[in-house]
Amino acid sequence: MLREKKSFKISIHLTTSLPLPAERDHLRPRIDLIVFMIDIKSKYSLKNVEASLAHVDANFFLGKVCFLVTGVGRVNYCSVEMNAIWKLGEMYCSPVLFCELELEGIRNATAQRLLRMLQICAGHVPGISALSFGTLMRNSTDD
Amino acid sequence: MERRRRSETPKQQVHHKNQTDLSAWRKGKKSDPEKSVQSHQSPNDEKNESKQGSLEEALSYFEKVQERVSLKKNNALQKHLTTVESIALEKGLPPEGFDVLLKVALSGKLADTVNTRLLKSLVPASVIPEDSVVSSVSLLCVSKCSASTQLLFLRWLITMFDFIDHKEQLHALYGFFFSFLQDEKMCPYVCHLLYLLTRKESGESVQLYEMEYHFGMQSHLQALLSLYKLFCPELVTITLPGKMKTYFKNSEGPWKAVINAVRRRNQENSAVLKPLVLGTAQPQSRKRKWNTQVLIPASSANRSNLEEDREKQLVNLYSMDESFPVEQLQTFPQLLQNIHRLEFPSQMGSVLTNPLLLHYMNCIKDESIYLRLYYWMGQTLQEECTWCVVDNSQYEEEFKAFLETVYKTECFLQEGFSSCEEFLYKSLPLWDGFCCRSQVLRLVSWIPLSSFSEMKSHLYDPLVQLFFTSSLYFKCSVLESLKELLQNWLNWHMIHLDSESDSQAQSSNTTLSGLVNTVAELIHFVGWISTVALRLENNPTFLLYFILDFYEIVCDMYLRYNLPLLIMPPAGIFYPALLSMDSVSLNQLCYIMYRYRTNLVAAKENELSKKKILQFKFSSQTYQEYNQYIVAMVGCLWTSSAFQKDTHPQGLRMDDELLKKIAVQDFKSSFNIVYHPALMGYALLFLQQAWPDDTTFNFSLIKGKRWNWYLEYLYSQGLKGLKVFIESSINRVSQASHNKTENMQDEKFI
Repeated sequence: MLREKKSFKISIHLTTSLPLPAERDHLRPRIDLIVFMIDIKSKYSLKNVEASLAHVDANFFLGKVCFLVTGVGRVNYCSVEMNAIWKLGEMYCSPVLFCELELEGIRNATAQRLLRMLQICAGHVPGISALSFGTLMRNSTDD
Repeated sequence: MERRRRSETPKQQVHHKNQTDLSAWRKGKKSDPEKSVQSHQSPNDEKNESKQGSLEEALSYFEKVQERVSLKKNNALQKHLTTVESIALEKGLPPEGFDVLLKVALSGKLADTVNTRLLKSLVPASVIPEDSVVSSVSLLCVSKCSASTQLLFLRWLITMFDFIDHKEQLHALYGFFFSFLQDEKMCPYVCHLLYLLTRKESGESVQLYEMEYHFGMQSHLQALLSLYKLFCPELVTITLPGKMKTYFKNSEGPWKAVINAVRRRNQENSAVLKPLVLGTAQPQSRKRKWNTQVLIPASSANRSNLEEDREKQLVNLYSMDESFPVEQLQTFPQLLQNIHRLEFPSQMGSVLTNPLLLHYMNCIKDESIYLRLYYWMGQTLQEECTWCVVDNSQYEEEFKAFLETVYKTECFLQEGFSSCEEFLYKSLPLWDGFCCRSQVLRLVSWIPLSSFSEMKSHLYDPLVQLFFTSSLYFKCSVLESLKELLQNWLNWHMIHLDSESDSQAQSSNTTLSGLVNTVAELIHFVGWISTVALRLENNPTFLLYFILDFYEIVCDMYLRYNLPLLIMPPAGIFYPALLSMDSVSLNQLCYIMYRYRTNLVAAKENELSKKKILQFKFSSQTYQEYNQYIVAMVGCLWTSSAFQKDTHPQGLRMDDELLKKIAVQDFKSSFNIVYHPALMGYALLFLQQAWPDDTTFNFSLIKGKRWNWYLEYLYSQGLKGLKVFIESSINRVSQASHNKTENMQDEKFI
């Protein structure tokens, strides 16, 4: 994601589990988007994400959380049920994106998509807020 | 013959002697001028010759090998085994080698590991002689080898089925294969093999009642039984489930990589595969197994007997005994002559690129062909999908070509394949929007009509996620494919309107109201995503063009496609188009509004004249919506009352006090055809032409007579949409001053 062309600065904080250590709270900038990466090939990954979700403040789920499922290319070998992932997305009202990290083209495309989401969540697009975008992604009809 | 000559040579001197013997043999065969060429051959050739020699030696070894030779202890066995394997990997084995190697592998003389390695390396360079296969099947029946070897042999047979040169004897062995169904482990592979072998005639010799009682409904059996049911429906009494999505297990695994490597190598070197291709004018660059299935192999036709066959066919023109093998089908008249006894090839994929066979499929309602094509295509799409199976990513170009072929076939047949539809529904949620993008989106446009809830969960939802997060170009591509989808549905409706005799057994979603509902939902969906997309991308002209393109079809649905549906674009599209900065969008919008008017007027006339009893009437709400838009538009463009007359809740109406605050002079006329940002360029050019010396660009000069000149000038610049809009929606009372013009008040229908 850092390699993509963009007009704003981004900083990425990687971690394997939440909560983030409390010592650096005052130094941390505002978090605009949380991406939970789930590897479809390992059950442990899903459990880890589920445990970490409990530590996330409820405000983030108003459009600032997204699940990224990797390892789609080996969907025949996945040990995590797809249903479990859909249910997770529904329960936490967040979109689920799919990606295969092994292939460069897909990696780039997914990075661009995440950047666009980040732009919206950070408020750079006038007229669309993170919340409205989150609801857009979930409903496909305008009732 | 050459093998036998050297079978007595002792092993130690083998290598050297073979080299000299081979070159001697070669020299003897070729003529003198080539001798000098021979001697200058590159070391590569010499290596080939030595390899050739060592292969022959290996084959002779295997021919004579005694029982129970252990792999670990015997160096000769190891060496020959590796020779065979390496040659198989490089260029494939010559036809002569199969006999020996198959016999050895299936006779149980050697250990299982050796047999497995042998079977795995049985990759042909050109063809596999049928005799070797027949003799190996007889060895299979005797079951001297282990069960796992038997299974591997069956898988090998399925994988290499296309390479066997003749298949008449194999068809004769049908009954033997059938008896193997009893074995539980072999059953899936035997089913697959029988599926490939089954022709119309063989269905009669099948004892189906046995199958019914012995086995449960496993997927491979279902597939086989459904094929039998089509050929001989009276023999199959069980009911099969409607939509089967299960296929045969993939048998190709151990040989996949090797086959591709060999084929690539051979294509580079020479046209070794040419004997397998019948001249239906296909490009040579087919690299994958399933792509070669798209070419009809000549292997099942005995070409030397072609002349005799033709004579026989002339005599037996109306005899039902012979079926016309499809490989000989070259021209359209031939198709017409033999249309009643065409026998389809066992690889259904070859149908996709053969226009003659596609014509046949279109006219003759032969369910078996559809079923076989359904299975084959579904299986291929699922297995070769490059984003679901990451190992396929290196073959992405070929998968793209395959998807293109499927798309072209769908365009030819003017309808979508259900296996393709299922593939899209399964893989779109997992799609990243990048792999094979244009091909996948084109296939989306051929999805057949179905109920809204199905489309929503399977198509709209995955598309929405991708749509909102992807680039501008992706958005435009999606809009284009949705436009084609709408067009295909409307065309389908038109065709089925004509053939109203087809009214038997029509499911609910093909009735008119079902169609209208689904189309309406699609249009609302596109309207919704377009509005959001315009917002996300900040109203780019490029996107607006595609959106308005979609609405060009929507506005004419009543008159062009006879569908009683009229849906206005949402305000989020109308106003950005009206106030856009470029003339293309404005022109398009004017044309669309003109077409809406034409459709509405025609509908009203039909209603009032009571000539036709209409099932549907456009509601007054539609007319009101239209009127609101038209008032706003005319107010903007013509009467210079942009901000006053608009009654639309999301429209341009603003209070005077607010407008005074912006401190812009003459704001009222700021969007008419002279001052509109999209048209101001034209006004400038017009002024330059009319008053070439005047450099002050006084736009207020354009009034009265010159207003008309200006209009003519605009029309001449290609703004045809503007022209038809103004001529239809604006009634000009006097030519003198533009202030006296008024729009048609009696547009307000109730």
